[in-house]
Amino acid sequence: MRRFGQEPAGEQEFTIHFTFDGQPLTARLGDTIASALYAAGIRSWRRSPQGDERGLLCGIGVCFDCLLSVDGIANLRACQILLTDGMRVETNLSAQVNDG
Amino acid sequence: MVEQVEILVIGGGPGGLSAAQAAAQAGAQVTLVDAYTQLGGQYYRQPPDRLLGQSTSHQRQGQELIRKIQQAGVHILSGTTVSSLDPDRLLLCSDAHSAFLLQARAVIIASGAYESPAPFPGWTLPGVLMTGGIQTLLYQHVLPGSRVLLAGTGPLQLVVAKKLLEAGVQVAAVLEGNRLVKSAVPHALALWDQSERIIEGAQSLQALLVRGVPYRTGWGLLEAQGVDSVTGALIARLDRDWRPLKGTEQEIACDTIGISFGLTPFNSLSKLAGAQQAWRPDLGGEIPIRNEYFETSVPGIYAVGDGAGIGGFRMSLLEGQLAGLRAAAQLGYGKDAASTAIQHVHRRINRESRFRRLHSTLFTPGPGVFELAQDDTLVCRCEGVTYGRLREFIRDGSCSPQEIKNGLRTCMGECQGRMCSQMVLHTLSRLSGKTVDELGLFSARLPVFPLSIGTFASLEVEE
Repeated sequence: MRRFGQEPAGEQEFTIHFTFDGQPLTARLGDTIASALYAAGIRSWRRSPQGDERGLLCGIGVCFDCLLSVDGIANLRACQILLTDGMRVETNLSAQVNDG
Repeated sequence: MVEQVEILVIGGGPGGLSAAQAAAQAGAQVTLVDAYTQLGGQYYRQPPDRLLGQSTSHQRQGQELIRKIQQAGVHILSGTTVSSLDPDRLLLCSDAHSAFLLQARAVIIASGAYESPAPFPGWTLPGVLMTGGIQTLLYQHVLPGSRVLLAGTGPLQLVVAKKLLEAGVQVAAVLEGNRLVKSAVPHALALWDQSERIIEGAQSLQALLVRGVPYRTGWGLLEAQGVDSVTGALIARLDRDWRPLKGTEQEIACDTIGISFGLTPFNSLSKLAGAQQAWRPDLGGEIPIRNEYFETSVPGIYAVGDGAGIGGFRMSLLEGQLAGLRAAAQLGYGKDAASTAIQHVHRRINRESRFRRLHSTLFTPGPGVFELAQDDTLVCRCEGVTYGRLREFIRDGSCSPQEIKNGLRTCMGECQGRMCSQMVLHTLSRLSGKTVDELGLFSARLPVFPLSIGTFASLEVEE
């Protein structure tokens, strides 16, 4: 795990579970999707329309480079969404369109 | 249905919190809209709840302000984005579930700033982050990588380098593009009564030096290297204009690169509302023109803080306070408070301005930062436009920024030009020999943040 520092006492209650492209992973309560993926050693989760790997850039919600799919909804910013237990996170495919 | 509010504050950072507090304490009914899940903005960015006990002094200051606006009865809408603002102060907002309209009698925009991007070969590789993005990971107690190079300019690099070292990460080097000592001398007076900030910078620098991290002034990044992720960087000595000096190139191993090329004010909302803008490179770029109460050219719409010109958190607090008092007074609350406060606030703002001028002299990137892209480097990351296509389109430089936007789709993707518009403007200016002032600026279009059709369709509009 790529984490540092002290976790609060009773840290078990702060553990949450999610999946990334089907792979089961754990994170800490309060993680964004981006910080959870980084903590799991994953730094790339999007393919650009040209097919290049992309991940986190600005970290504050303005660049829209970190887009991915969450529970079937595409084009969401990994840096802005708080992870919740059971979330299904997937690589964003280029030119993916939400019809909902 | 359109909900009516008296004063609507946009943004939960120092400027917005201060404006909301002042207006609410004067007696006005205040609603504060903030895009993030937690108030505080970037400067007062709060740790996740589980780490609240380990808050820094900045974060505790923010918590204090947030408590004050809660006590003052401010209605807070977190996780809410403003996608549009019109001259009559009608706002289109959205949260995770739906879109809705708000009609305000006064609007105070405190939308803050974002780190300025500049394209260089390899800048789309995972592992290249804005330095503030690295900071957001550190607040979550997550490491960005194992060996980090920081390049660009400004004190944030030093602060983040120190935090990385404390977290056990190797810092390959900190490259400061400007040669600081020479530039600082004419501004020595401005440093008077700024001891607290100087000490913070000096402590960070000392932490680096003690651990043998090179702090190289007059050096910069040319290229990020790697195939699927960063594995190294090409760096070089820079001249005063940030153009690399031939023969000084070096390779440096790292798996993460943090870039800091200054801050850009987020001015899209005031622009969309029709407020007159000015091109002020010394204040970060394009900003709204304001009167002494920080009201824009559109009556009842105010703009405060870094989003109206980079000035730092103290300036934001002061501007927010005065705009909050004024907006309340215009609606009949605390009539004399704004006119009583104005002199005092402006005296303190003048003092802050000296520091702002020093900061801008020391830490503005040179024009060379916009000349690193090669023909195959992406300029527009959303629409996949390369530097070669941009150069080809501009040719003799007789086109306008708007024609580039229409012809190449730069500034039309999800980020709405936040990542490419500066590069496009600087490139056009360089190839045409005209200043940005002469070229004119891009128009603002709604929505300033993307909105899904589904969310848009949830809007209830009266027949």
